[in-house]
Amino acid sequence: MPDMRFAPPNPLRIADRASGLNSLSVRSHNERLVLSLLLQNEATTRLEIGEKTGLSAQTISVIVRSLEQEGLVVRGAAQKGRVGPPTTPLMLNSEGAYSVGVSVGYRNTHIVVVDFIGNVQHHRVMPHRAADTFDAPEALALEIHQAIAGLSESRQARIAGVGLALPTPPIRSGPDHDVLHRHLEAELGLPVFVQNDITAAAGGESLFGTARQLQDFLFFYLGARLHGRLVLNHQIYNGNSPLSYDVGVLALERALPSGSTLAEKLWGEVPSWPPMGPALAAWQQACAESLIQLTQSLLQFIELKTVVLSSFVPTEICEALCSLIRQEIPSVSAVVGRTSAAPKAVGAASLPFSSRFMVH
Amino acid sequence: MTRTVLCFGDSNTHGQIPGRGPLERYRREQRWAGVLEGQLGPGWQVIEEGLSGRTTVHDDPIEGALKNGRTYLRPCLQSHAPLDLIIIMLGTNDLKRRFNMPPSEVAMGIGCLVHDIRELSPGPAGHDPEIMIVAPPPMLDDLREWESIFSGAQEKSRRLALEFEIMADSLEAHFFDAGTVCRCSPADGFHIDEQAHRQLGEALAQEVLAIGWPDA
Repeated sequence: MPDMRFAPPNPLRIADRASGLNSLSVRSHNERLVLSLLLQNEATTRLEIGEKTGLSAQTISVIVRSLEQEGLVVRGAAQKGRVGPPTTPLMLNSEGAYSVGVSVGYRNTHIVVVDFIGNVQHHRVMPHRAADTFDAPEALALEIHQAIAGLSESRQARIAGVGLALPTPPIRSGPDHDVLHRHLEAELGLPVFVQNDITAAAGGESLFGTARQLQDFLFFYLGARLHGRLVLNHQIYNGNSPLSYDVGVLALERALPSGSTLAEKLWGEVPSWPPMGPALAAWQQACAESLIQLTQSLLQFIELKTVVLSSFVPTEICEALCSLIRQEIPSVSAVVGRTSAAPKAVGAASLPFSSRFMVH
Repeated sequence: MTRTVLCFGDSNTHGQIPGRGPLERYRREQRWAGVLEGQLGPGWQVIEEGLSGRTTVHDDPIEGALKNGRTYLRPCLQSHAPLDLIIIMLGTNDLKRRFNMPPSEVAMGIGCLVHDIRELSPGPAGHDPEIMIVAPPPMLDDLREWESIFSGAQEKSRRLALEFEIMADSLEAHFFDAGTVCRCSPADGFHIDEQAHRQLGEALAQEVLAIGWPDA
């Protein structure tokens, strides 16, 4: 029998000097374990990775070295601890990977490009010709091409893929989800990942936002309607739920006097809403009541500490809703999501990262 | 708790002064292993095992069988056990003309040593110790009077780091390329001078600490 010890070396990850991202197939489970930890924490050490994954120091050393060479991970400066020798933190290289996120909403389609830690590099809004319709897959492919062209050539080689956040049930008169998926993949030559838009927004908040370090939280998305998702141990439950509550921006729009020019302002990206009189206060109260009721009903079953409210509406409105929740349920910390302006599109952009780099 | 590091190497671990005779050696605190110990501070003990002319696994037909790193490694490990970390920096002497080895074979020799260490398990409580493979810095083109002995080794020495890293990846061992922090001295083209010893010792201290040691 041959002595396998002296067969030619068969590296787990060959010392790779190529630039750009390695192909999909070679990323091992252990490597994904390490990347998951790095994506979920701002900085970590090889010791912490070992403690959390059970991998040996030498296995981690090999993986971290290959991730460093690939440009996905960088070392921070050594930090002197209170006791013991200094530790060298590891963190994601923000320029190590990029991702495109697209969300098709009620009135607008958003296109974003984010870096590896979720900073938005590019944001474009494509208004729909009519609300609740989307019929421009060719124009969308063109917009994505342009978004990618805005990156330098070396960064373009580091695009992990395109995430597509689509509503359930599908928008009227839009192309079938599968058709759109295949069309974009063929047009762009990049892997395209599709997810329910609310689930994507929750995922984005979990990976890039306020909830980054949180294992468990209740997520609300306030859009045309109000939607919820429960995240336990970083897993999002009932990801395709079509259930939503009619206390969103659409309800507010209806409550405004007919023919009012205020309605237009509701859907745009504005720092604050103009005064709207009693309609706004009434809507805010109704919306808060829904949020509180939904949170309370869940609290019967699960001990939740955090509620994250994500929305494109002005931060001050979200803050007001959060403080109403906190007033009513003091045991819960209600916070505004960080991925504002286009939470669903940023969430969509987190999809290629989670699909390609994390354990499931 | 004291952690013990064994530095297993050749004349560059012995601290031979470039361009001088084999008897002229840097002082302990000037040599990279001494620098390493100083940087790691209390709680660490660094043992030097550097022999001039040491190869990975070859009996030297001229200098003698005693230069074979493999035969010396086992008694050496047992003498110093328990060991937390073994740093191996070898390979330069394997590139001598007389051995006629490509860089990949030198890496195979390093791989043998890693297997031998794991067979003996000289770590704490009979466990495997951590192993770090260090690729020596590439030789300079001008080797002075050593040219005939090493003829052709210069080009091979530039490929050792990649071959060693592939071996380290394959065997799951720590790896460091000394060529990223220091270079050989022009005095003879393949020994490292005092500054290089310091650069290497300081860089290795960072590498050793980055491994992550529970309740150190």
